[in-house]
Amino acid sequence: MEHIFQHSWQVPFGEVSLKLDPLSLIFLLAVSILVVSAGLYGVGYMRLYRGARPVGMHIFFYLLLALALVVVITANNVILFLGAWEVMTVATYFLIVFNDEKAATRKAGFLYLIATHCGVFCLFLMFFLMSHISGSMNFDAIARTSFSPVVAGTIFCLALLGFGIKAGLLPFHIWLPHAHPAAPSHISALLSGVAIKTGIYGICRILWIMGALPDWCAYVLLIMGVVSGVMGVLYALGQHELKKLLAYHSIENIGIIVLGLGVGSLGRGHQMPFLTVIGFGGALLHVFNHSLFKGLLFLGAGAVIQKTRTGEMDRMGGLSKVMPLVSVLFLVGALAICGLPLFNGFISEFIIFFGLFQGLIHLPLPGAAACALGILALALMGALALACFTKVYGTVFLGRSRRAGEPVMPGDPSRWMTIPMLILAGSCVWIGLAPETMGRIAFSGGEYIAHLDSSRFNLDQVMAPLSGVIGGAFVFLALGSLLIFLRRFLLRRLSVPVNETWACGFSQVTPRFQYSSASFAYSIVNFVKALLLSRRHGGQLDTIFPGKAHVSSSVHDAAEESMFRPLLSRLGGVSKILDDNQVRHTQWYLMYIFLFLIFLLAWKMR
Amino acid sequence: MVSDVYLFIFNISISVENEMMMLILIILHWLIALLLSPFLLGVISKVKAFFAGRVGPSLFQPYYDLSKLFQKSAVYSQTTTWVFRAAPVVALASALLLVLVIPLGGLDAPLKFQGDIFLVAYILALARFFMIAASFDTGFSMEAMGASREAFFACLSELVLFMNFITLALLTRSISLSQMIGADSPLSWSHLGPTLLLVVASLFVVLLAENCRIPIDDPDTHLELTMIHEVMILDHSGVDLAYMTYAAALKFLIFATVLVPILSGWTGVFIKDMSIYITGLLGLAIVVGIVESSMARLRLNRVRNLLLIAFVLAFFGFIVTMWRG
Amino acid sequence: MTTWIDASCILIVFLALTMLATYRIVGIIKIFAAQSFVLGLTPFFLHADGLTIRDIVIAMGTIVLKTAFVPFVLLWAMRHVSMRSEIKPIIGLGTSIVFGAMIIAGAFWVSLSLHLPGKPISDLMLPCSLSTVLLGFLIMVTRTRAVTQVLGYLVMENGIFLFTLSLFDVMPTLIEMGILLDIFVAVFIMAIIVNHINDEFERSPASVSRSKMGEAF
Repeated sequence: MEHIFQHSWQVPFGEVSLKLDPLSLIFLLAVSILVVSAGLYGVGYMRLYRGARPVGMHIFFYLLLALALVVVITANNVILFLGAWEVMTVATYFLIVFNDEKAATRKAGFLYLIATHCGVFCLFLMFFLMSHISGSMNFDAIARTSFSPVVAGTIFCLALLGFGIKAGLLPFHIWLPHAHPAAPSHISALLSGVAIKTGIYGICRILWIMGALPDWCAYVLLIMGVVSGVMGVLYALGQHELKKLLAYHSIENIGIIVLGLGVGSLGRGHQMPFLTVIGFGGALLHVFNHSLFKGLLFLGAGAVIQKTRTGEMDRMGGLSKVMPLVSVLFLVGALAICGLPLFNGFISEFIIFFGLFQGLIHLPLPGAAACALGILALALMGALALACFTKVYGTVFLGRSRRAGEPVMPGDPSRWMTIPMLILAGSCVWIGLAPETMGRIAFSGGEYIAHLDSSRFNLDQVMAPLSGVIGGAFVFLALGSLLIFLRRFLLRRLSVPVNETWACGFSQVTPRFQYSSASFAYSIVNFVKALLLSRRHGGQLDTIFPGKAHVSSSVHDAAEESMFRPLLSRLGGVSKILDDNQVRHTQWYLMYIFLFLIFLLAWKMR
Repeated sequence: MVSDVYLFIFNISISVENEMMMLILIILHWLIALLLSPFLLGVISKVKAFFAGRVGPSLFQPYYDLSKLFQKSAVYSQTTTWVFRAAPVVALASALLLVLVIPLGGLDAPLKFQGDIFLVAYILALARFFMIAASFDTGFSMEAMGASREAFFACLSELVLFMNFITLALLTRSISLSQMIGADSPLSWSHLGPTLLLVVASLFVVLLAENCRIPIDDPDTHLELTMIHEVMILDHSGVDLAYMTYAAALKFLIFATVLVPILSGWTGVFIKDMSIYITGLLGLAIVVGIVESSMARLRLNRVRNLLLIAFVLAFFGFIVTMWRG
Repeated sequence: MTTWIDASCILIVFLALTMLATYRIVGIIKIFAAQSFVLGLTPFFLHADGLTIRDIVIAMGTIVLKTAFVPFVLLWAMRHVSMRSEIKPIIGLGTSIVFGAMIIAGAFWVSLSLHLPGKPISDLMLPCSLSTVLLGFLIMVTRTRAVTQVLGYLVMENGIFLFTLSLFDVMPTLIEMGILLDIFVAVFIMAIIVNHINDEFERSPASVSRSKMGEAF
């Protein structure tokens, strides 16, 4: 199932060659559903800025980004792909820095631009290496070439670096938690939902092009997935800012996706078609699912932030009485991202778990051990994500408002903002309760990556258990409604008084008594303090009758603080030395260019 | 008609004579679980009373408590929302769903498929999500304090649970709970004694942790600062509390039901299996009672070490399994 | 009988691991006694079909020396030399346990490529003894108190003993060497008591005392 559109192009080596295959299909579906819903949401969201800020330019770049995304995903030619990739990067940059009056936003945008260009550098190297060997710029032609293991390994590493930066794989993720909170919420949704998925798309495309990769690549993918997943969710748990937390959660989900890709590659390395398709298909389904629920969560977060005018979770609370519809939709997203049954997150995690267990049972020792590691990591991620999202939902929507000053105006946001969220939430439930359609699409994508046809394995092995899951979900729903009716029946003649919360005998309980998000996460963050840079200021009680005290805690990114910051500051030092030795005249630089030109000519004459 | 529903829901077609069987099986599962689970709690408190030198409450006290709660009205806090009311329903519904996934005594599990272990783990997580959310919903710190601990210990106990699932999957070459611990399970103590010992020991710790028993949590304490489960349900009352209590009792039964067949094995004769199963449950309840009477509750920051040890036990079991090939 | 040997091997490693996770020194000594008892029983399982005098002597010797004498002396010392009752780990107990798990995995991995002369009765004996030795090492490396050093050494020694048991029939003298080691340990302990080394080997800078308010529960 491939549709190719071909047209000549004046650019050297370039051709307008677009291809729609099962792999692009699933990404294209994610892009279209998210671009439309985030766009609709944006109409409502940007109303606030109309007249005050250049909204028109924002819309232009939004549409440009949508176009670039589509071209990146369907491009069948290296030059076209890289061109679209650049357009995507630049358009995203302008969308991120919409609120450019804030210094943090400008910095985040700049960081994003630098990080992605480091990635693009690797991609240039990789694609030119591939084209040089295969002698063509067309993906189909490159895919027909066979590469030696060393070259294949090099290409794989470059791809992992280049696409990994875009996807936010640990430890190349440092731009991500800065860019997401800085951007307007519908842009964060788009960034997290599809823009970083282009990195995953790239890795998938490379897996498709390369056919057979050396064995270690599968392990590298698996371990990168495990590390990104677990660390991503741990960092998320330590955050107090809603959108930053969601951004770290994207890293976790990218980890799960890469874990799935690792399982698939393991299966391909061991000639196990079923495992291969399960792994790749599960990963692709998670790509789609994550776009849905992460988009939903970011849109919800945007509504919350616009209402409360702060991103600090510890200043919120009780919002479900203020915005009942948003709170329900956010709950759907939260349940889905935790991978709980009835929602779509469970379906893709189920498939990846299924693949990991298949690998565990059928693979020889190193593979089985890697699968065991993957299972444990995925289980841990699930439990930590649950802790993380109960924290978010509990502190933001439940309890009482922690806000100082006047209370927020009750009322859900406009329909422009709620309808896109409804669409996304509806899709989450739809895949959660009827995974057949999307499951088949994802599996055909998986088959396509692995160059397999469906006759070599029986997909019912995983589809039949899935229908068991759905059966369980329906039984659960039936039981739930039965119990609700039973409660109503039992309470029918009794009066149901409404009173204050039982506060263990305390009187005059203020909302500030409530557990904050930091205190809720403290036990876990403290447990893994060796891995996180968690800092705590104040809060020491040193006299018998302590007076006023303040305590604040924060979790810092270890990759950023102890890896990139020292590295870059050293690099900055070196460049400063070089800079000082330069004579600051333009003519010198022109002379360098002139000398290089002479050198090139001489080299050509040789 | 039932078979149509079954076909629609489970995508499995069953013959007409089987459909009544299936329905009876489901009802039997619920009946046994609902009738038996409070009794186990009664046994535990009886054992504890015995060790404390008291007569203790009647073995049927949990039933009296439950029936009392079912007759009472509920009080809701003005802070709470529908999430607070949903939590007991979700907790009990998920416990009842889990009852269908495990084989009870000689009875086959009505809901079994490859990968039902994930459903077990994640349905437990679903109930936990709502419990934690409900404790935030009360708007007071004590409940959320318990919830924070619950979330943390759940991370560790989930790891232990999955480590054991890995070992059992390797041993039985299946990822269905029914095949892992059900009647056709290939586990046997004569071959796998040491590994199973490790599995049972770590699962026992998980049982204690998930059901909030001593040494992880004290179900009888009245000091809100130190509790986990009890403090989370502090604000629930009447019918809601009955749901919560019943769900907790069922959860104990579910974990015990996973543990007992590994210990006892299967004979293949229904009556025998059932009596072994019930004896095993009672025995496990007595053991839990003895543990609770002979140990003190651990300091909260040491509970994680206990769970880590349980994890290492399970991990050791996994290594031995891999070593044996 | 292999099952019983397997079980005791696993129990020995597990007990070594619980020592790693125990705060109180008295607790560690008691676990050590239990471990030595299991170790003492192992010769009976090894030759269940035909017990010789030598088996019985070795088993009884181990049990008397390590289950009764050494713990007794250590407990006596604990009481009389007024040592503090809690260990002083360099790394947290949780981390120790995780390291312990890694060590066990590593020991099994190394054992894959080790080949012993003769065929041991149980294939778990070699990796388990290796794990016990390494866990003993870990106790010595990560704990600073003098008495925990001794206990770590004793655990290591138990591991070596388990290893020699696996070569019981092939290399008989090893066992006797093992018992010699025991005697050396006994002397070592005596030296501690005599010299009243009641504090740690290495003094770390006094840690900043901080409020325990948050840790009370």
